This record gives sequence, C-alpha cells and structure tokens, in this order.
Amino acid sequence: MSVVDTPTRPPRGSAPHRPEHAARPRRRRDRTPWLLAAPTLLLLAALLGYPMVKMVELSFQNMRLRELISGRAPAWVGLDNYTRVLSDSVFWSVVLRTVAFTAVSVIVSVLFGLGIALLMRRVARGVRLLMMVAMMFVWALPQLVAAQIFRWITDSDFGVINYLIDKLPGVDYQNHSWFVSPAQGWLVITTLVVWAGIPFLAITLNAGLTQVPKELIEAATVDGASAWQVLRSITLPMLKPLIVIVTTLSVIWNFGLFVQNWVLRDSHPEPAFQTLATYSYTQAFGQSRYSLGAAISVITVLLMLGVMAFYIRQMFKIGEVD
Amino acid sequence: MARSRVDDGVLTVGRSRVGTAFANTGGVLFSIVMLFPVYWILNTAFKPANEVLALTPTFLPKDPTFANFTSAFKAPLFLADMVNGLIVTLLAVAGSLVVGFLAALAIARFRFYGRKAIILVVLAVQLVPFVSLLIPLFLMLQSVSLTNSLVGVSITYLVLILPYTVWTLRGFISAIPRELDEAALIDGCSRPQVFWRIILPLTGPGLVATSVYGFIQAWNEFIIINTLNSPDKQNLMAWLLQNQTTRGTAWGPLMAGAIITSIPVVIFFLIIQRNIATGLTAGAVKG
Amino acid sequence: MKRTIAAAAALTATLIVTAACGSKSENTPTTSASGPVDGKGKTVKVWLMVDAQTAWKGVVDDASKRFTAATGAQVNVEYQQWANHLTKLDATLAGSDVPDVVELGNTEFPKYVFSGAFGAINPADYENSGTWLQGLKGACDFEGKTYCVPYYAGARVLIYRTDLFKKAGISAPPKTYDEFLADADKLQAAQKNAKFGAVYMPGQYWYAAMSWVKSTGGDIAKQEGEKWVGQLSQPASVQGLQRWVDMVKKYSHADVTKNENEQAGIFAQGQAGMFYGNGWEQGSAEQIRKDPNDPNSPLVDTKVKGKLAAAPMPEVPSFLGGSNLGVTEKSANKQLAAQWIKYFTDSTAMAGLIKASALPNSTALLDKAATENPAIAPAALAAKSSWFTPNAEKWADVEKGNVLQTMLTDVLTGKKSVADGAKWADEQLNTTLNES
Repeated sequence: MSVVDTPTRPPRGSAPHRPEHAARPRRRRDRTPWLLAAPTLLLLAALLGYPMVKMVELSFQNMRLRELISGRAPAWVGLDNYTRVLSDSVFWSVVLRTVAFTAVSVIVSVLFGLGIALLMRRVARGVRLLMMVAMMFVWALPQLVAAQIFRWITDSDFGVINYLIDKLPGVDYQNHSWFVSPAQGWLVITTLVVWAGIPFLAITLNAGLTQVPKELIEAATVDGASAWQVLRSITLPMLKPLIVIVTTLSVIWNFGLFVQNWVLRDSHPEPAFQTLATYSYTQAFGQSRYSLGAAISVITVLLMLGVMAFYIRQMFKIGEVD
Repeated sequence: MARSRVDDGVLTVGRSRVGTAFANTGGVLFSIVMLFPVYWILNTAFKPANEVLALTPTFLPKDPTFANFTSAFKAPLFLADMVNGLIVTLLAVAGSLVVGFLAALAIARFRFYGRKAIILVVLAVQLVPFVSLLIPLFLMLQSVSLTNSLVGVSITYLVLILPYTVWTLRGFISAIPRELDEAALIDGCSRPQVFWRIILPLTGPGLVATSVYGFIQAWNEFIIINTLNSPDKQNLMAWLLQNQTTRGTAWGPLMAGAIITSIPVVIFFLIIQRNIATGLTAGAVKG
Repeated sequence: MKRTIAAAAALTATLIVTAACGSKSENTPTTSASGPVDGKGKTVKVWLMVDAQTAWKGVVDDASKRFTAATGAQVNVEYQQWANHLTKLDATLAGSDVPDVVELGNTEFPKYVFSGAFGAINPADYENSGTWLQGLKGACDFEGKTYCVPYYAGARVLIYRTDLFKKAGISAPPKTYDEFLADADKLQAAQKNAKFGAVYMPGQYWYAAMSWVKSTGGDIAKQEGEKWVGQLSQPASVQGLQRWVDMVKKYSHADVTKNENEQAGIFAQGQAGMFYGNGWEQGSAEQIRKDPNDPNSPLVDTKVKGKLAAAPMPEVPSFLGGSNLGVTEKSANKQLAAQWIKYFTDSTAMAGLIKASALPNSTALLDKAATENPAIAPAALAAKSSWFTPNAEKWADVEKGNVLQTMLTDVLTGKKSVADGAKWADEQLNTTLNES
C-alpha cells in the first residue's frame, strides 16, 4: 500500500523510546521554547498588540480630527460608540450584507474549486498543465489589479462585457450600468472574488486529491462503484479536513472584503455596496469618526471570533494541534 | 520525509474515452475563461489612449504601441517604487521566515506551559482587520521615527505575514518524525544542531510555500505603505494608483503597470510552483 | 463648549476675539509672508494635488525657482492623489513631520481650518487678495482670520457640438433655460440614433444637480443659530432638483452611477450633443494624448475635434470649484511656507495657470483670463456669478459620505421620489453637519 504523508507522532504513553537524557534537564529546556518564540511574540505585541489595545481604548473615547491633530486626549464616552453602532440600522444592514456575501461567495468558491480540482484529476496531462498555468497567472495578479481589470471590463461605456453581451440577438446591453442594481453589482463583485479565489482553492484541493490513494479508488471502481459513489464515500471523506481548512480560510478572507468593492465603486462605495471593512474605513477616515470606526472594528473581530473558534476546534480535531 | 507515491497520472480504470474528451474540453474552456481578464489586460496595455477609449473595443490592438510601458519606466518614481517594493517585500519575507521558523519550532517541538495560549494568539491575530489599526500603528511608528522609512514598512509587513508563517511552518515541522530528532541526538548532535541540520532542510518546501504567501501579501499591499510613507518611498501599487485621477483613469498605462507589477510574482511562482501544492497540503489528508 | 463658541464666532465673522479657554484665535499668531527670510539650508515641503503635475508643472517649477532665488531655501514638492490625500493628511498631521504647505480642494478646507490644522496668514501679503474669489476665500475664513490662500478656480459651462447644432437648425447657443430645453429637443429629433442623448449628464454629478437647485432659488444647507439645517426639501430646492431629474431622464443616456470624472472622454465618442463641464474639458474632449501620463506625448484628435464650443449655461449658476493653499500649524518653516505660497499665487504664476486653462484666484484677473485664453472665456464669465458649498466644519464629511451622490442615484433609478430623496438627504445633512 502506498504510504501517505501524515504527521507521524510517537504514540502517547509509550515510554521506552524516549531517550533518557530528556528527563533530567527539563527545567532548562523549558526556557528554550520561550526563547525561540520570543522574537515572534515581541513583534506581535509591539506592532499588533499595542495598536489593538489602542484601538479598543479608542472605541471608548470620542476621537475626531481635532484631537488627532492637536494630540489632546479625547474625551471618554464609555459605551456610547457601541450603542450608537449597534442601534444603527445601517450598520446591521452592512453586517447582514457582509454575512450574506461571505456565505454565497465561499460556497460558490469552494464548490467551484472542488469541481475544478476533480476536473484536473480527470484531464490529460497537457490540459492539466494548461489549467495550472492559467490559474497561476490569475493567482499572481495583485488584488488591486484584478479589481481594476474587472472595473474596466464592466465599464458601462467602454467595457468589453457589455459589448459581448450586446452581440446576443435581442439583447440591448450598450451602456448597461452594472452597479445600478445591487443584485447585479454584487454579481460582479462575487464573480471577481470567486475568479480570483479559484486558483488557491483548486490547486490546494487538487494537491489533496493526489494524496488520496489511487489503489483505493481503483479497487472500489473494479468492485462496481460508480464515479459518484467513489466521490462520496472515499474521496470526500478523505478530503474533508482540507476542505474544512480552505473553507474556513475563505470565510475569514471574504468576511474582510475591502479592496474589491472599494475599487469597483471607485473609492466611494454606495451604501448598498458597503461591507464591514469598508464601512469601518469610511467611518474612521472618511468621516473622521476614528472612535466609531474603532468600535466597528472591535465588533467585527468579535463577530469573527465565532468562526475562529470553529477553525481552532477543527485544527484540534484533525490532530494538527494537540 | 516519507512521500506518498503521488502519481501525476490520471486514473484510467473505469474512465471512458468520451468522458475524458468532455473533461479535456471543459478544462480548456475553463482555462480560456480564467485567462480572459488577463488577456484583456495585455490587450489594453498595448493600445494608445485614443483606441482604449472607443465605444467598440478591439480584440487586438489596431495601433499597437509600447508607449504605455515605456512611459511606466519614464515615470518619475517608477524605478524607485519598484526597488522599494522589492526591498520591503524581501526584508519582510526573509524576516518572517527566520522569526516564524523559530516560533514554529517552539510550538511544534516542545511541550510547555503557555503553548496553547501562543497558538491561540497566532490564530486569533489573523482575524484583525489591519486597516483599522492604521492610526495607532502610525502614531506608534512615528514615535520611534520609523515612519516614512522602508524599515518601518518592512517590519509592519513582517508582522502582517508572521502569524500565517508560524502556523504553516508549524504544520511542516510537526510532519517531520521525531525519531529523526532523537536519532540525531543519540548520535551526539546538540539540540541547536538538530534544528539547523535536520529540521531546517526538511522544512524546505514549507519555507518555500510560506514565502509565496508572504511575497504576494507584501508586494501587493498599498494601504499601509500609502499611509506610512511619502510618495518617494512607495511601492509599485501606489504607483499604479496614480493613474486614476479626477480627470479620468489612464487605462492603458494602468494595465501596462498591472503587468509590470505582476511579473515578479509570476516569476516567483514559476520558480517554486512545484513546491506550492506539496507545501499547502502536507499532512492535511488523512491516510 | 469650545466648539459652540467657535461656531458662533464664525457666524458673526467679526474681529471679536473670544475669551473662551483654548480658543484658537487667541493663541495663533499670523504668519507673515513679507520681508526678507533667510532659508539657507532649509527645505520647504509642499503637498500639491496631481492636477498640478499633469497640467501646469511648469508653473510650479518656475515659482519654486523664484522662491529659491529669493530666500535660499529648497523646495520639495510631493504630488498627492485625490482618492486618498485626506487620509494621508490625517495620519501625517497627527504626527510631527508635517508638510509646510498643503493644497486642498476649497470644499475640504473648512474641516481642517476649524480643527486647527492650519496657521493664520495675512492676506495683505498676497497679490490680488482684495479681489479673491469668494468661493475660494470663504473656505479660509474662521473667527475673523484667514487660514489659507486661494490658488485656482474652475467654473462649469455648457459645451456643445457646433455641427449637431447646425444640423438641427440651431443658430446660437441657448440664452435661457427654456431655449436650452428646446434645443435639446431639436437635437434629439435630428438624430435617428436611439442611443443619442441631447445631454450627457452622469447621475452622480452632484455639482451639476446642486447648480440646478441654486437656479430655482434653492439651497443645500443654511445655518440657523448654531445649527446647520438642510434645505433640500424646501420647495425651491425640490423644484430645482426636479428640473434636473426631468432633464436627465429625458435627454441623457449617461450611467446614473458614474460621476463627471470621465465625461470628457465619453463625450468624445460622439453620442451626445451637449455636456456640462469645466472650461478645460472642452480641450480634453477634442484631443487626447496617446499616453495620458506623458505631457510630451503626441495629441490625437477625437471624433469631436473642431466641433466643440463653450457657452455659459443659461440661468444656472456654476459651482466654483478650485483649490486653496495653507500653511500647516505644525510647520517648522511657516514664514518660508507663506513666502512660497506668495510666489506660487502671484501674477506671474496666475498667468501660467491661465495658459493651462485654469481660472485665476481673483475676480480682477477673470477678464484678463478671458482675453488671454479665449477657450476659458465662458468659464471666466461663469465664475463671476458662482456659488459655493455651505461653509460648515463638517462639509467635507458630507462629501466623503456620498450623501448627495446617493440621493441623486436613488432618485434617478426611481428608488425614491424627488421629495423623499430630498428629505433623506436633509436628514443626513442635519446629522453630519451638526455632529460634535
């Protein structure tokens, strides 16, 4: 049988193989991991921890432009910012929209990614290479660039998409504006996000598929299982941990959507196109309501904690962390 | 490190020829659709402005020109921006690999009090939207005179990609059997030597995979460097954005610039493409 | 407490110095730009917007050269992008390494002036200060002092296709609004193409829409006591808004989610008869550089080359756009900064700006501009009777919050009626302008 890559770990509680000299300098060894981890922890504390503490502090104050410029300490307003944010219907519509977008885009992305990965296992070597190269180029494009090119091809006056659709008989798409209707606008944004996300998903899942033992599948097929049954009973269960990982990552990334809707709406997204990240940014920097923006960011992180808890549990379950 | 007999070949048992033909067509179609925007970038980049702003788009430039590319090179800060971007990116990636590797070693190879807490921190920190930390970060860096400097931005980027680096390298290191460590120790190696001579080389693919992510993140970032640095210390993304003004967007130069900024990433990819897939999935699939 | 007093003082606009603690006018001395200043070894850091780089870099370089010759100080000019310059400014002003001179749009200045970002200057030091355009200067006034210097202006005019006018039997540009509508009808009747629009008016072009509001006697917001009150739902404003909406729906095929930034390039495709733009947009529509980023790149004629002319828009006052220059309060070289601004806004510099089709900062120079650069004569005329946005501390926030743009798109797509849209906009204005 083929040997699959798995994290091998000495079974716990089996004493004999442990070298004896490990028992004694235990106290000395205890400091080594801390020394090794120290640079990371220091950097995280300084450049992420400290600003984060400041951000939380900011959310309990009222900092406007005047305080920013003069350096005067802003007034403490307790939970005012939070009450204001949480009682604002605009905020909740932004939350809803962000959640809805995340759900739809992640489901579509992962399904597509899985589909493409399966397709890659099926095609001839040359075609697979072509697909890999295509995805490589797309993956290499900076987010900013990808958003700009989508903005260009969906431009209402000069965009090639309108031109091509207009060619269809009976369809008049000249000068069609894609962002008048939120549904169409989000279709464009979601397409962009899915398109840009397929390479990572497909290539990752494809690599996972290559680790599924060929012999298992061959044996099952010879025994009469259909392709669908093989997929359901053998491939997917083996792939499940990986699918969970990429899905969770996608959720985290898509929840924080910023660049795409920002660029597609030319740096001033209409209310219907605001996500939590852009909303926080426009409150903080556009309206100079730095404290309000900070409160929104804190709430965003709290909302994400639920997902994060799930992610960590999955990591523990898979056995990667113990 | 034991590798599976990863077969690049296609399973032929039970697959029909027709099915394969369909699959091949699908694959080709997929590639075309994926590449369409990339093709359109190239198409637009070689057109002069009067052809770009035309109601009927041309699928091949009627009047192809290199002007958009040469104007990119002639633009006042282009070369400086490119060099800045490279410096900042390489510093950040190298730094995060070194620092991250050490931390990953700690988490993967030691059991100690506080280990779970560190793991939690590393994971949780990835959830914070960096943009919201912009102003406190700016003020803090300014107090140590690190604003408007490439070093300041490098350190910021380093921290940006650090959690992911630590986490991924941790996965790789865990996959290396402890027996190897122990064998080496018995043979007389000291612990540091074990890390340096055994674990580090075997983590190679992992280092490569994480560096890809780091490179892309740092190379493409624009909000942070835009806020922290003056125009003469920007990277290529900032230079790209210059093409958008209140007098309209200069699409041709923007697309040419897009190609130029993507090239280093593409090159990087081509060099390490073999290792990407392995890197991303080591140990993820249960066998 | 401080802010209420500040607002009241601004209202009265007299030289009464308030005795409130921490009031700005007490503590800020005025920076003088006259008299010899020794700038040897010093560098003045200037933030200009990217328009100067693309359209009149020569003027910048020349002014800097004269400044250096007079003071010995060097000049370092950084060109900023409109999309993010305010965010950058916020972050930079929070720290200690600030630019000495900053250009901001005139509608952006009040917010920063009220917040103490800029230092007071003495208008008497600058040429033509007695006749500075009110639309530019108003943004600089606070508690009786002046905190910035007008730089250049832009006014909007009607730009139309002379050939299409002839074809439709129109002999001269419209002199009244009714004539304008009648001409639009004639243009559309003369064109068989269903895609043709007599007017190109993108939906988020709020400068235009608000100009229409002003044309019927309406207003955006008014200060009543210490509060700002939105005026868009007043009958006069609604009438103007309705006029604009009707005109757009009947004659324009423009994208209702776009603003006016790309209109010259789109109009050049030849599918509209008229558009409403700055004087220099006529040139942009007629010719386009092969490489937009290279000022030496060859110009290519568009479909409408030689077919355009400009005239003042009848009965609709133009919004006075433009920029001002300020000396930052935290600057370490305030006198040098003020001097640089002096050189950059004197008559020599103004002549250069006029040549680049920008309007000068003073009414006295407008006639000169019209004669020296006939292309901008209609704009110069329009600038004489122009309007300006409410001089509120938080006006910039209204612009950043896209309140007017959102309202216009909602109304044009039928999501809201004009009355409802105006009411919604007023609510937003009341909240944003009065926030502390």
